[in-house]
Amino acid sequence: MRQIDSYAHSNKLSRLHPAYKAGCSLLALTLCLALDHPTVSLLITALMLALTVGWAGLPWRFVLRLLGAEGGFLLTGVLGIAISVRLSFDQAGGLGPVQIGVTAESVQQALHVFLRALGGAAALNFLALTTPAADLLELLRSLRAPATLIEIMGLTYRFIFALFDSLERMTMAQEVRLGFADWRNSLRSAALIGTNLFVEAFRRSRALETALQARAWTGSLRVLPREYEHLFRR
Amino acid sequence: MTLTFRNVHVTYPGSDRLALRGVSAEIAAGQRVALVGRNGSGKSTLMLVANGILRPQQGELLLDGRSVRYDRRSLAELRRQVGVVFQNPDDQLFSASVYQDISLGPLNLGLSQAEARARVLQAAELCGLGELLERPTHALSGGEKVRVALAGVLAMSPRFLFADELINGLDPWMRRQVLHILERLSASGCAVILATHDWGLAREWADYAIWMDAGRVFRQGKPQTVLSGPECPD
Repeated sequence: MRQIDSYAHSNKLSRLHPAYKAGCSLLALTLCLALDHPTVSLLITALMLALTVGWAGLPWRFVLRLLGAEGGFLLTGVLGIAISVRLSFDQAGGLGPVQIGVTAESVQQALHVFLRALGGAAALNFLALTTPAADLLELLRSLRAPATLIEIMGLTYRFIFALFDSLERMTMAQEVRLGFADWRNSLRSAALIGTNLFVEAFRRSRALETALQARAWTGSLRVLPREYEHLFRR
Repeated sequence: MTLTFRNVHVTYPGSDRLALRGVSAEIAAGQRVALVGRNGSGKSTLMLVANGILRPQQGELLLDGRSVRYDRRSLAELRRQVGVVFQNPDDQLFSASVYQDISLGPLNLGLSQAEARARVLQAAELCGLGELLERPTHALSGGEKVRVALAGVLAMSPRFLFADELINGLDPWMRRQVLHILERLSASGCAVILATHDWGLAREWADYAIWMDAGRVFRQGKPQTVLSGPECPD
């Protein structure tokens, strides 16, 4: 997650107005879903990969690894489509009435769903890898999304990383005291870390409120928008 | 301009213990004040009172000789004049990027976007953050976070700046940089009140010292006089 965030801030398109990138990503996603054809899905996957690597300048190894991980996850999902399990009392075999089978039709359907989802994932990867979270929030703000929703999203984004840091520190503190030496200790340490993390999140929310008040908070988290680059002269 | 604590008594909600017991002190514009004392002596509580986050149960806070009222408008005015930088910078950085985080205070004060932008750039320049404005706040080092937290308060142009153990845990280079910022602030007429456990620094840097003990002012006056004698820890 940190790596995705880091690339979102350092790629060649990071200063480009997020509307272009969101538009490109959503168009690809819509085409993938609406045309619903394996060839289109494959083409869109290839195109989005090319844009992410060629246009945004991200390392192809990382982009492929990310898509590969998502593909692996999708594969486990489509297995259920490819393999059919049914009950038949007419032809009881080795597994009794349960029949497990793979048909050419079910495999084709699974592949179809897999490619469509992969195309969608590639399209969203392009957006996530090229656009900082702050810009996405800014885009939502300009699209008149509810302010409270945007503020909650912004704070969640900010505090995910703060809690990650706390989690790392707590885990290290447990490790140096042999907290993960065996299975039993590991379970106990995980429970303790979970509890402490909850308390830490609560403490942080109190401290956050105090710090907000100190900066003359008026009830909404208003911040200045960034200045973006545009594809066309305005 | 002066900020005066007159016989201030404070108890935290849900506690019987007085956190401040009759604190009286006066701080003038441009002063460099060292606030020293043990952990739990009331230094942080005094800062919360100065910013209007805590309201004294007895006694009063006066800004330029006028008693502070705790309605929305008076609190906004108090927070425009009195800024607080808290001990943990992670608890006071809310926004996704440095630029946006610094802009929060000026926009809360009701400044226009152009004015807020000018304030952000000015505070960033003072704190040496010009290169970091686009960076996400969670990707900063400890010293950078301290400077961003400081810039966020300075962008509100306070006349009194309370800094709670700001330089604790900083490396000597970063510490010198932060002290340099505080010196420039003080030279511009802003009173800087630094809570610190570094008694050597308090003697050298400050022109006034307040030694707190168990919620009371134990001694106050010239650092060379106040911070000497057998009671001193060093």
